Amino acid sequence: MTVITPNRATGARSVPIAMTEIPPEAAMPPEALRALAPDADLNGAFVSDLLSAFLAHEQCGVHLYRTVAGATANPILEAKYRDFLGDTERHVDILTRLITELGGDPQYVSPSARLVHAMNTHLIQGVVLASGSADELPREMAMVEAVLLAETKDHADWSLLSALRDKLPEGPSRDALSRAVAEVEPDEDEHVDWARRTWERMTMMQATSSTMMKVTDFAEKAFATVKNAVKGS
Amino acid sequence: MFNPLEHQGMAIDDQLRSWRELNVEPYDKLAIHPYSRSRIILMNGIEVESILFSHQFARHTDNPEVKEKLALSRRIEAQQQKAINWLSPGDETPLETTIGYEQVAIDLTAWLARNEPDPYIKQTFEFGLLEDFDHLYRYANLYELISGQMAETLTRDLTEIMPGRPTAVEHRNPLDDIRRHYDRHTVDPLSRLHVLTLVAGEQQTMNYYMNHGPDFIEPVARGLYLEIAEIEEQHVTQYESLLDPLESWFEQLVHHEYNECYLYHSFMEEETDDRLRRLWERHLDMELGQLRVACDLLRKYNGIEPEEILPPALPQPTKFQENKEYVRGVLASQVDLRTNGPDFVPVEDLGPDHRSLQYMRRVNDGGVPSEEVIDAARNDGGEYRRELIGVHPVDSLRQPSAA
Repeated sequence: MTVITPNRATGARSVPIAMTEIPPEAAMPPEALRALAPDADLNGAFVSDLLSAFLAHEQCGVHLYRTVAGATANPILEAKYRDFLGDTERHVDILTRLITELGGDPQYVSPSARLVHAMNTHLIQGVVLASGSADELPREMAMVEAVLLAETKDHADWSLLSALRDKLPEGPSRDALSRAVAEVEPDEDEHVDWARRTWERMTMMQATSSTMMKVTDFAEKAFATVKNAVKGS
Repeated sequence: MFNPLEHQGMAIDDQLRSWRELNVEPYDKLAIHPYSRSRIILMNGIEVESILFSHQFARHTDNPEVKEKLALSRRIEAQQQKAINWLSPGDETPLETTIGYEQVAIDLTAWLARNEPDPYIKQTFEFGLLEDFDHLYRYANLYELISGQMAETLTRDLTEIMPGRPTAVEHRNPLDDIRRHYDRHTVDPLSRLHVLTLVAGEQQTMNYYMNHGPDFIEPVARGLYLEIAEIEEQHVTQYESLLDPLESWFEQLVHHEYNECYLYHSFMEEETDDRLRRLWERHLDMELGQLRVACDLLRKYNGIEPEEILPPALPQPTKFQENKEYVRGVLASQVDLRTNGPDFVPVEDLGPDHRSLQYMRRVNDGGVPSEEVIDAARNDGGEYRRELIGVHPVDSLRQPSAA
């Protein structure tokens, strides 16, 4: 597996804020953050922070897909999670390339990225640490919901980058953004659409199936029904 | 180069030991090398922390597999703790053990500070060092006072015994014990190991004093233990606040196991006692097996490869060595340092109404046990010191006759 989390060995850098202490040699100079995309008349420091947060979300997406792909008992869902895992790993590469092309440092972990990381950590831990509280089907639902939440945020990130691209003047920064958005946006459309449809289908199947109310072995049969539903998505 | 991830270690299922194996022959308190005792004390604290952490983790999940894996490893860690702590002989009094604890606190903290790459963490270590250094002096005087014995029979002059930052002025408002934390991405792996080690060591010291203080009959001893136990709580607050809270439960579990591998590997290499070296070696093998389980959980439940959060090899080993010159240097330059929130400042910058000075006046109102023990020693034939390489580096802390 690819190592994607910035760490000391990969050259991670950050800025000391409030309660965080950053070793001097790993501190990102403010002028380096401000210098992002010099041809684009942007608030470089803010956009550096933002792109780092978006990259953190993609990296956490890889961790999420690795986790749910290994945890699901449904081979159809597993195949889809592995498919999306591959896409998300590619998105990490594309976003890394974009940050580099804009003159930034993809090893920069911004304060916003830390917060994004924290939210994603709790999302994934909510799914795995409380798994003893539910049967198989609710566990599968929780994983799909985690994917839906993560993909909704991911979709919003790339929509925003698309909108930002439209505001930029012609030049290398706009071109770099255009390439990245063109490569990733169709995937994000597919991911969020699949997650929403799958979640709705699984939920509706349980809510409306009379079989569900009659059978005693609720979980097992419900799971089989949903398995078939997923097959058609 | 030793990379724990490249070693399988002993399988968890093979790690259980019998009572006979755990009920080990104690060491001879006068024959054991002080730094062998130090390693025993520290590794006991490290195992206690691993047990307490695992219990906390288990209380935050109902995932059956995670709970089972934690329970299995935790039971083994509990056996490891017994195998280490039962080396302490019954004829070693709580006060003698306490002197051992303070020697650990001094020479461990000094070593970590000397080798700490992060300037803020290093400063934090040095700040705590001077306080533990003072505790040894107070306890050594108590030892002479109530047992008539000299602490150097235990420390063997590897560590000097004289005042540090006086315990009476170490009392701070809790808000001034909280430090900034490292960032999980940019932290040097050695810094993380240093912090984890010191948190465990200080936590064990806190627990020991808070439990053994009431063992004493003498009011001066009871007072001294309760006062210093409160400082150790301050130290735990200080050092634990250096840890990045963003690290997940699974990451923290891996870091705990990795740190145990690191320390057993360090001590296996420097241990002079053959029996102990074999114990450290065996425990390293066991920890490698436990680390493997923790890494599997990290992969499965966080989707994170251990290589993403661990260095490619163990950093330079931690050692117990003499630090007399270093401690003197820190004493001379930092004895008057205090804290204001997470920052270290000269005492004169605090102002007379600073919250920590108000706190100190409140707790010291009506007498200070750490001063009373020295007064009692002076009235009982003179205070006890072991200034081995010159007079005290701080004028105001020299003996009245030597000032």
